[in-house]
Amino acid sequence: MSAERSKVTLVVDGVEVTADDGAMLVDAAKEGDVEIPVFCYEPKLGGPVGACRMCLVEIEGIPKLQTACSTPVRDGMVVYTRTDRVIESQSAVVEFLLVNHPLDCPVCDKGGECPLQDIAMGWGPGRSRMTEPKRHFRKPMPLSPLVRIDRERCILCYRCVRFSQDVAEDEQLQLLERGASSHVGTFDDHPYIAPFHGNIIELCPVGALTAEAYRFRARPWDIEDSGSVCTLCPSQCNVMFTVRDEHVQRVLARDNDDVDAGWLCDKGRFGFQMITSEERIVEPRVGGSRAGWEAALDAVAERLRSAGERTAAIVGGQTSNEEGYLIQRLLRGALGSANITSVDELEAGLARRLAAPELGAAVPDLDAAESILVVGTDPLNSIPILDLRIRRAIRQGRARLVVASERPTALDGGAEETARYAPGDAAGFLAALAAELGNRRQAGAGTPGRAADEVPGDGSDWAEGARRIAGELRPGKTVIVYGERLGRGPGGDSALASLLECARALDLATAGAGVIGVPEGANGRGLREVGCLPGAGPGFAEAPAGRGLDRIKQGLLDGELDAVVLVHADPIRNLPDGPGWAEALRRARTVIAVSAFDDASTETADIVFPAESYAEKEGTVTHPDGRLQRLRPAVPHPGNVHPIWQVLAELGARLGHETGIGSVPEAVATIAAEVPFYAGITPEEIGGRGVRWQERPAASAVAELAAVPPEQRTSRTNLDRDDSGTLTADRLRLGTYPALWADEITDRNVALRFLAPAQTVELAPSDGERLGLASGDEVEVRSNGTGVRARVALNERMRPGAVFLIEATAAENANALPAELNVEVIKP
Amino acid sequence: MNEEFPYLKDAEEVVTVQRGPEPGGAKGAYRAFGETLRGLRTTMARLIEGPMTIQYPEEKTPVYPRFRGRHKLHRFEDTGLEKCVGCSLCAAACPADCIRVVAAENDPDDRVSPGERYAAVYEINLARCIFCGYCEVACPFDAITMGHEYELADYNRGDLIFTKEMLLAEPVERTPLRREGE
Ligand code: SF4
Ligand code: SF4
Ligand code: FES
Repeated sequence: MSAERSKVTLVVDGVEVTADDGAMLVDAAKEGDVEIPVFCYEPKLGGPVGACRMCLVEIEGIPKLQTACSTPVRDGMVVYTRTDRVIESQSAVVEFLLVNHPLDCPVCDKGGECPLQDIAMGWGPGRSRMTEPKRHFRKPMPLSPLVRIDRERCILCYRCVRFSQDVAEDEQLQLLERGASSHVGTFDDHPYIAPFHGNIIELCPVGALTAEAYRFRARPWDIEDSGSVCTLCPSQCNVMFTVRDEHVQRVLARDNDDVDAGWLCDKGRFGFQMITSEERIVEPRVGGSRAGWEAALDAVAERLRSAGERTAAIVGGQTSNEEGYLIQRLLRGALGSANITSVDELEAGLARRLAAPELGAAVPDLDAAESILVVGTDPLNSIPILDLRIRRAIRQGRARLVVASERPTALDGGAEETARYAPGDAAGFLAALAAELGNRRQAGAGTPGRAADEVPGDGSDWAEGARRIAGELRPGKTVIVYGERLGRGPGGDSALASLLECARALDLATAGAGVIGVPEGANGRGLREVGCLPGAGPGFAEAPAGRGLDRIKQGLLDGELDAVVLVHADPIRNLPDGPGWAEALRRARTVIAVSAFDDASTETADIVFPAESYAEKEGTVTHPDGRLQRLRPAVPHPGNVHPIWQVLAELGARLGHETGIGSVPEAVATIAAEVPFYAGITPEEIGGRGVRWQERPAASAVAELAAVPPEQRTSRTNLDRDDSGTLTADRLRLGTYPALWADEITDRNVALRFLAPAQTVELAPSDGERLGLASGDEVEVRSNGTGVRARVALNERMRPGAVFLIEATAAENANALPAELNVEVIKP
Repeated sequence: MNEEFPYLKDAEEVVTVQRGPEPGGAKGAYRAFGETLRGLRTTMARLIEGPMTIQYPEEKTPVYPRFRGRHKLHRFEDTGLEKCVGCSLCAAACPADCIRVVAAENDPDDRVSPGERYAAVYEINLARCIFCGYCEVACPFDAITMGHEYELADYNRGDLIFTKEMLLAEPVERTPLRREGE
């Protein structure tokens, strides 16, 4: 963290106040319990703009009134906030703001939580001298399908526009026209569709921007706020559920600078409708018909007992640490099976080394890093809030960003350098990068190392890209944000091993630097740490080797496995080779699913347990940077839904494996006792802000995690696939990616459905030209006899020879293609 | 240390009460008879006035115009639209927390109230209401007023939850009359 700022002393309204040097007067005044009213000042949006003039104060020695929001404090400053001049100016500003404000508070959604109301009451003149008719606009207009704008109410504070321009950088929102007809809008009234646009609702200090979903739902005195954590993606933003009549009505940000910097993505903000969806599974089902819990638990216990060690479990990303711990204990302890894995499975040794406390960067480290490398992931799709965070780091001018990925990312525009490798070539590229970085390090130390060009494989352009990337990275001051999906597929292990080498070459085991892995599932990291990993128990303890995802599928197909438990997991939709999984689940003797909704996988299930939604869950999750966070139930369980930890503990008991866990705090205590680096952690310690385990004393207990000797160069034989580089006119290399809106959450929330992407195949323009394809053409992407229909999108930033499809779309899912690198793109 | 109250550590804790003078003599006699006679005068005066009983419920006294009885919701006389916009201010003002408002958006083709918003649910739990009239004061549209009806007894608590429809309708004649043979 930055060194302590020096302090200055000033006098505000006769009270002596000590504040940080460089702080703005508004913030300093708060130290002396003096409130200065503001509208446009919002530090989350960057520097002050001084647009609204609400914060004028009198400063001794300065003849004119000054805006407190943009005046930094000086030592010995004497400030008055309640002199006649100031009061006159404040009430003049309020009167002026209200000249055209419709004052329709009774019908306005902001009523009761409106800064304009509060400030007009507190600092306004009380009555207006205006008798002239007010300016009128058509109202309320949809700004997007999720947000409505009432331009009459707008006070032109620019907050929303600044958010769009400076924070999300989507640059869609503008202030149009001049003078009295100024209003907020988009070019040509296009709907404002952007992944973070819901934040403007919370930013607007008046009721000009309101949420479609919260329209007229409740007043502040009708509701209860309930803080928790959003587990819809790995960002794990801190949220505040607005609950009325035991229903979640709205989701607001619960600012936590260490996690989300006060923003939410639209998925988190508007994805709550599914909690009360009619389609939810609210009762256990055995063999397709409703059953009571007793009967269902008995049925499961009996089937699992007979399957014994021929059982496997796949845990999805929404699973909490407690649930993950209990399911692995059920398998390992009660059934003697080691086949437990999550959708974020990594090789156990690599997982252990990547989790090393010195190597882990915290999210705020991005702010201070000198260089940021994003590799193998597009944060916008996989961990949206980090996208905003990285943008902010670049904007503040401290960090230089470099991006290395197979597919163009949303961050490319702000990057100093980008390198694009072909789908499936991540391992080769990272090896080249590791070699280059090692080289530079040794050159620095005086001994020449291996040149990047010497790396085997079609390395020529990898080396070139690696050189460009490496040139931007500052040893000891870099944060690497990598996609854990780099670890997938045949070259996965060596890709991550090379990544570790890069980290070592860059000296990332220092404070303020490190790596952040972006998992696929929201709690990917936590699940691995509590033991949902084949070959590693809780805390990465040695455990008998078990089957990973691919071998579970194979085992089910071969009949070597009898039963599979799916906890919040839908492999048919979300894992590569969906048809293979469908076949495997069909052949499995017993499929047990814990799911909130019916999907392709629950259709194959013999027994279905209803899952809790994230607003009903109690427990803990672990952020990708190691921060343990607490989930607190905001609403009661609907229907006959039971807490899943309870179900798993009960199941263990029926199978003769008593866990002694009777409550969530007990589960946390058990985990803390077994995971050495969580030692002693309690829900109270985690609290509302979470704690990073790397920053607790217990982290030193796992120094040996990192002390694993640097592995010898991983062999790259598994890279030498015969199909690499065969780029012919009609055969292209296929990559798939998770798009932000292509998942179950979008489908389950009626309000979000319009965002669900139709399958799109992205091609480089040169490939498009060669194949005679233009953007918008309907084509079929074929591989091994299976095809997926998609619309062409030519993208200049694509690497020629590569095509990309979206994973997990509701229809024409790219996961339906066999795991095959080469595809054809055919015009039907 | 206080001698009378040895268990009190601090003498200041003792509060001394000043009593009036003991009655006796002429003053005492006046007290005994004078005041009694004064009281009796009032009694006698009422005696000759005759009975003042009002045969409630058959007979009723008019209430004052500002009497705070059961609430009423109002409509605009010209358009017939409800005045209430569902703003929940009455619910906020209610000290007994007995008003529940759930608002909804007006369909411009089938309006319930003018403007964007109307009360889809409006309930007052009269079992809880303390008839303070704060809701009436809070309402920015004079949509709710306290009426003059006070005969609200019922056999069921649940029946004391008045819905929007009941509050919009004219109060029903609920004067309890004794039936034959009761
Ligand atoms: S719409 Fe709201 S946030 Fe945007 S300028 Fe107007 S008042 Fe400010
Ligand atoms: S009765 Fe008046 S105060 Fe109550 S909700 Fe309706 S308009 Fe608002
Ligand atoms: S808050 Fe200072 S000018 Fe707006």
